[in-house]
Amino acid sequence: MSEAKLDRLRAQAAEIGAVDENFIRVLSQVPGYTEALLDSLTRSHVDGAVDHKLKEIIRIMLARQAGDPYFGTLRSKPAAAAGLTEEMIEAGCGDFENDERFSSKEKWALRYAKLMYTEPKSVDAAFYDEGKSHYSEAEIMEIGTFIAFHYGMQVFTRAIGLKVAE
Amino acid sequence: MTEDQIDDGIDHYETSEKISGPERAALRYSDMMANAPEKIGSTIYAELAEHYSESQIVELGAFIGFNIGYHTFFGSLDFYPMFTPDGRLVDQDESRRIYGDNPVSHLDGAVQRSAAPDEAAE
Repeated sequence: MSEAKLDRLRAQAAEIGAVDENFIRVLSQVPGYTEALLDSLTRSHVDGAVDHKLKEIIRIMLARQAGDPYFGTLRSKPAAAAGLTEEMIEAGCGDFENDERFSSKEKWALRYAKLMYTEPKSVDAAFYDEGKSHYSEAEIMEIGTFIAFHYGMQVFTRAIGLKVAE
Repeated sequence: MTEDQIDDGIDHYETSEKISGPERAALRYSDMMANAPEKIGSTIYAELAEHYSESQIVELGAFIGFNIGYHTFFGSLDFYPMFTPDGRLVDQDESRRIYGDNPVSHLDGAVQRSAAPDEAAE
């Protein structure tokens, strides 16, 4: 990958804040992966039809499940600018089912993330049917692939013991 | 690569003589990432470093993480391969019948079940 392309990805990552230089440095060891993985991390997080703030809560919830301090520590700047607070992140990662600040739609998405790797058998046809009452199929795929991709990368960063850059 | 080798690499990688030292280290790393991430430490990385460069270890780790994330998601969607083990295009009901509800060895019935109906009747 060219230096110019890497610089563009670096700038994009810095703008969002959910990936820092340390992850880029690690990925740079496998040039064929760098662009694809960084671009996917960013796009799945900030693009699409599903609310970015909700995805940010999901991302942090998953990092905690994965036991990954790296992604669990970083925060999205656009989500913060849009009003997402640490209090709401804690609420979303906690007892969101009984929290009136979350809509039924948001609760379904948070439940989806919570159950995917803790009780995958419960993410069944009935669960998806309920999801379809809140989201289009495309939105459900957007949330599902977001969960799968970010959790996978969190499992990886946990395994290598990655820390946030000083 | 054969189905026998795939099964051996999944079920007996620690003891199989068909698995090389570098392969055993990579399979152990994958197993630990999926099933015992808390046990991953300097020992496993020292072992991997005997066989692989740092960039190859990063490649392995990212590949494994990606697969851990996606396989559970795909499993929740309850869809099946479009093709039989020998490459015949089948619909989802037929594929489910061939592969079964849980991912197991293709040698555990899927290959036999995937025989085209006329072949199976013979």
